[in-house]
Parts: sequence; structure tokens; C-alpha cells
Amino acid sequence: MRSGPDPALGRRRRALVAYYMVDRARNGRYTSLAIAARDAGATRLELGFPFSDPIADGPILQEAADRALRHGTHWDDLRSAIRETSKVLPTIVMSYANPLWTRGLARSLANLREAGAAGLIVPDLSLEESPPWRRAARRAGLDLTLLAAPGSPLARIDALARASRGFLYLVSRYGTTGGGEISRSADLVPLVRSAHAAAPELPVYVGFGIRDRRTARRAMASGADGVIVASALESALARRPSMATVPRVLRPIASAVGTGGA
Amino acid sequence: MPSRYGPYGGAFVPETLVPALEELERTWKAARRDAGFRRELSRYSRSLGGRPTPLYFAERLSRRAGGAQIWLKREDLVHGGAHKFNNALGQGLLARRMGKPRLIAETGAGQHGVATAMIGAALGLRTEIYMGEVDMERQRPNVLRMQLLGAEVHPVTSGQRTLKDAINAALRDWIANVRTTHYLLGSAVGPHPFPAIVADFQSVIGREIARAATRLWGRPPDLAVACVGGGSNAIGTFHPLLRTRTELLGVEAGGPRGHPTGAASLARGRPGILHGTYSYVLQDRDGEIRDTASISAGLDYAGVGPEHAFLKDSGRARYVAVHDEDALRAFRWLCEDEGIIPALEPSHAIFAAVREARRRPTSHHIVVTLSGRGDKDLEVVGRAIGA
Repeated sequence: MRSGPDPALGRRRRALVAYYMVDRARNGRYTSLAIAARDAGATRLELGFPFSDPIADGPILQEAADRALRHGTHWDDLRSAIRETSKVLPTIVMSYANPLWTRGLARSLANLREAGAAGLIVPDLSLEESPPWRRAARRAGLDLTLLAAPGSPLARIDALARASRGFLYLVSRYGTTGGGEISRSADLVPLVRSAHAAAPELPVYVGFGIRDRRTARRAMASGADGVIVASALESALARRPSMATVPRVLRPIASAVGTGGA
Repeated sequence: MPSRYGPYGGAFVPETLVPALEELERTWKAARRDAGFRRELSRYSRSLGGRPTPLYFAERLSRRAGGAQIWLKREDLVHGGAHKFNNALGQGLLARRMGKPRLIAETGAGQHGVATAMIGAALGLRTEIYMGEVDMERQRPNVLRMQLLGAEVHPVTSGQRTLKDAINAALRDWIANVRTTHYLLGSAVGPHPFPAIVADFQSVIGREIARAATRLWGRPPDLAVACVGGGSNAIGTFHPLLRTRTELLGVEAGGPRGHPTGAASLARGRPGILHGTYSYVLQDRDGEIRDTASISAGLDYAGVGPEHAFLKDSGRARYVAVHDEDALRAFRWLCEDEGIIPALEPSHAIFAAVREARRRPTSHHIVVTLSGRGDKDLEVVGRAIGA
């Protein structure tokens, strides 16, 4: 019943991860959203479970979470979203620690795996708190992906890369998700190099602030294997909630990353 | 220094903050061993803060209760009008030691914001305060005080627009500016090492209580009572008394009568992870944090410090919830019986203390930590009692 490691990722192929917030108002449209993302060059999907107090998120994802909670989004909506998207693209879940913890870690993770999730990202889970979560993820057959940040000392990057599964999520800069400039490629190079040296099979994807061709190029110039696009996609969809929005945002990024698009 | 209290505590934070938390812990450990630091802390405590604060026998209030003697630990007399000074001073000195030129803080009632602004001014550190819009409205005098003290006050418009949302905003600022900024967290909550540091700097309250009690009646109090929002004045009161026989009673905000939870995380919540720590949290089935309600902005918080969670489970401390209406009654008792206008937060503790005193013999000594004065609350109280 073990999901990964995905053989394609094992060779560190280039990747574009597209993020959607789970929102009850989107029920029934996840398959189309996933197909739109795949056709625009996305290689994986990340589904965000809304949390009331998302401290790592900037205004766009905060508002998306607030909206989703106002619409009455619950755990079961996440499960049905995963069931739809995982038929189209490998799907990982982003959730803050408390919603996973509160119904029992083993049970939450088994739920996600049964629904078809391949992995999990917990933005407020530090390396120090991660051991029981890593054990639970391993038991459930999920890849638990850890985050690294520009201020992480290289020794920590090594430890994070060795402990992370699926990929290593490299935060592009000091700050929350969404707008703002990402770090210069040169500042990210040593971090990516260090992660690759510590875990040669593990790809490194850069996220936070990737919104167009330019920021995607800059992220890739660090030597990273892929990027994650969240706020840019959510803010475009909030303005124009049509399927045509998805390729408009993702295609230029996919072409910069090299996963397709124009 | 513990990072866990039984199963509670820990540091559930984005990776960006981890190096800063480690630096803070290192700096604090070194400072505790540094006689120069301790001297400076004690000098500012005395000459700027006005410590030690007195222990006052509330004779007429005790008579009203008709039982045990009620004594007040007068933290309302600390500079700025609340116990918040103790922690703001300590962490301000740590920030200077780390070479961080900018302080940020959250505030609910505004007392921690005022304390941080005072320390920022006194130590020459730039200070910015996050405060929920609802709280800015109900604690308006404190907003002006912060501004006069040179702090910039940022209204927080997300969520319920109270303390929890102010902490979110401060954490997000810290994530972005962590290299130059110290987040001067005001309560015994948040990721390790904050709960331990805040408890350490607030323990001056309990040490002074123990010393004064021994001097006045020859032994520690029979019961110590303090209000609990995040729980900083309570943990400061309890800590030095943990190894005595003193009973410990924490008093949470029950909110308006009929409200399902108020802000009583320990009484009505269950364990969860909020703002970087594992403790009792008011949450729904999905782990979403619930809206809270309390007449006192300073207690209006869905979480609580992890050490209180441990003290509750271990039975070393008891926790009860007091409703808005009863806190208001106690507020007026203290005004009329003792000529002291208390803050609404410790008014909850006063009510619980009077109730306890009724059941106890006159030979018993109850100490209530009067964590702050009530000038900030005049508008709210005026509206509530229709004055």
C-alpha cells in the first residue's frame, strides 16, 4: 500500500506543483482544476486544508482559507477533493498541524492515504517536533515533506534534507506566502547544493512568491528541481474563477521550469 | 529549562523562526548566569518599575466575603499599571543583548503593548504593536498611551480581530523580519522558549508573595489566585509556590452567561496546537480555532500557556471559569470596599477569591494577584453597568 517514492521524482525530474485551497464552493470542480493544471504543465498538485490561524501565510492564502471556512469546508471535503485530483496528478496535502493532530495523527494520515494522497506538508512542523509525525507518515505510506528556509544553517539543511520525503520544500525568502520579492538565486544556491549533497535523490522545490516566468527562472537558477505556485494561482482564481485562469498563470511558469507550456 | 511540560509545550513553528528561537534561548541562558544582566534587570525593576510591589490586606473585602483573609498582590502598582512590565523589561534587555534594534509585540487589553512601548522607549528600541481592531475600540486609552510612548500601533483586521489575531500578525511580521526584530511575546504562550522565559521574568511576583507572606504571617499563603488568559501573571504567581503547600487556583474568563465557551481554554477546550505550542485550545471538531468571548480583552484568547495545561492535568493547580457578570460584580466590590479600581482581567480572580474565602476559616490567607489597574476599562464598565 506504499505510494512512493515516485520513480520520476527519484530521478529528480523537473516539477511544477500547483496549489489549490480546498473550498466547499469548489466541490465537483477538482477534477477539472487538476486537468487544467496538468495540461498547463503542472506535475503535482498540492491541496491546502483551510486553517483558522495560518501563521505562515500572507494575505491571499489567509483570505482563501477564511472564505473556505465561511463556506463550511470540512475534513470530508478534503478527502473528496483528494479522491478527484489524485486520479489526474500525484496529490500532496498542505495542512497546519492542529487539524491533523486533533483527530489523531494516525487516523488523519490514514484518511489522507486512503483518499489517494501521496504526501503531506505541515508548515508549522519544525524538524525538532517532526519525529513522531515522520513515523506516523511512514506507517501510513505518506511522504512527509519538510520545509527549509533561507536562514537555516547548512547543517540544518542537511538534516532537513535527510529527514524529508518526497521533496524538500525550500522557502524562497524571509516572509509569508504570496507577494514580495524572492531571494536572489545566488543566496539560494548554497542551500540547494547542500540539500542535494545530503540527499542526492531528493528533489528541492522552491516556493513562496513564485508567480511568473521571472520569479520561476530565478528560483530554478538556484539549482532547484522545481517550484510551487500557490498564492499567484489563488489570487488569479479569486479575481477570475474560470478554468482559463489556470493556464494563464501556470504556462509561463511551466516554460521557465521546463515542464511544458509556452 | 524545559521545552515540554509533560506532553505540553514544544515549538511548532515555520522553519524560518527556528534559528531565532534558538538564539533567544542561548541568549537567555547566558543572561541568567550573567551577574551584570541580573543587576541591570533588578536596577530597572526597582527604579523604573517600582518593585517590589506591596501585599495589601483587603480587610473590607474580606469582611464582605466573611471567611478567610484576602490579600492583594499589587501588580497594578507596577509602572504602566500591570504586571506586563516584568516580562517586557526582561525580554527588552535580551533583545538589546542580541543586538536586535526593533521590537514587535501583540496586545489584547493593551497592557502588554504599553509595557513594550515603555521598555522600547527606555532602551532606545523601535517598537511596533499589533492589536485587534475590536480591542483597539474597547481599550482605546491604551492605544493612545502606546502612541505617546513612541510605538506604532497596527490594527489587525483579520479573524475575530482580537488577541489571537494580533499574535498571528506579530508572528507573520517576525517571519519576515526575524534577523533584525525581537518578538516580545507578552504571555506564557507560544513556542519554546517563550513560555519558560515569560514564566521566569514573571516569577518575581510569586517570589515577592512568598517572602512577604513569611514576613507577615510566617508561612506561604493557603491559596493563591490569579486570572488566566495566556496565563503570565498566574504562572509568575504559581511558579515560586509550586514546591510549597499553597493551593493554586487559576481563573479563566467564562464570557457572558450562556456563551458555550467564553475564553476558558482549560475548562472547555481540549489539547491542540496553536501559536507554536501544544496546550489546551478552544477548537471545533476539525481543529479550527473557535471564536471566544470575554468582557476582558486580556483574557479573550482561545489558547493557554502549556505549563498551565500540565498543572491542570497533574492536579497541582485548579482552574475555574468566571462569567462576565460576576467579574463586573467583583470589579465594583474592589472599587467600593478598597478604593482600588482593578482591571477587568483580575476582577475575575477577585470574584473567585471571594467565593473561596466564604468557605474557609478566618485563619486562612488567600493571596490574589491584582495583575493590573482598571483605568483602561472605564468605558467598557460604564457601558456594562449603564453608567
